[in-house]
Amino acid sequence: MPHREKLAWMTLLLIAATYGPYFAHVVISPPAPGVLPNLPQLWLLALAAGGNGVLHILGRIALRVAAPEDARAPADERDRDIERRSGMVAYYVMMVGMMLVGMVMPFTTSGWEIVNAGLLAIVLAEITQNGLAAWSYRRSAA
Amino acid sequence: MSGGMIVNQIRTLRFLAGEMSQAELGKQIGLTRQTVAAIEAGKYSPTLEAAFRIAEVFGKPLEEVFQWSSDG
Repeated sequence: MPHREKLAWMTLLLIAATYGPYFAHVVISPPAPGVLPNLPQLWLLALAAGGNGVLHILGRIALRVAAPEDARAPADERDRDIERRSGMVAYYVMMVGMMLVGMVMPFTTSGWEIVNAGLLAIVLAEITQNGLAAWSYRRSAA
Repeated sequence: MSGGMIVNQIRTLRFLAGEMSQAELGKQIGLTRQTVAAIEAGKYSPTLEAAFRIAEVFGKPLEEVFQWSSDG
């Protein structure tokens, strides 16, 4: 499996492991409206984002140690092609999300709903980019 | 658009080149082993530049390495 495909799968798994529980918690017990900064909610968000970041760094180190030559190899034309296509689709997902968050939601809601919607747009864009990359690598795997 | 696909003789040419490995071929033309494997299996169509580089490694003209098959 190419190094960049492993990174895409790892990113998807880490999103599921960190932002999955965060958004599940937000759906089950939504933060109280209009109460800012709402420190417990802020703490949960920091835990999800920080945990994702730390685990991502550890995962990258583990992959580099497991296959150092693969990790050192520069991206080739297929890698760049997959990155360009998945990045383009993810960009549109992010754009639509940001338009909703920045131009529609301020007229209908406020506070943590906007924060969480913004975070969801970013996470969905990441899922799109890495999901498409992983799928593209699988589709063209020999 | 009519059906068809690019087929190639890379496996045969690697064999004739002393069973050159996919990694070795990839290293010579700046591709990963997995990308060479994908090209060889017809799952990924290389850029024209990569196709020329592959042909150059085997000392063959492009059309002896890659062919268009309209059978699809």
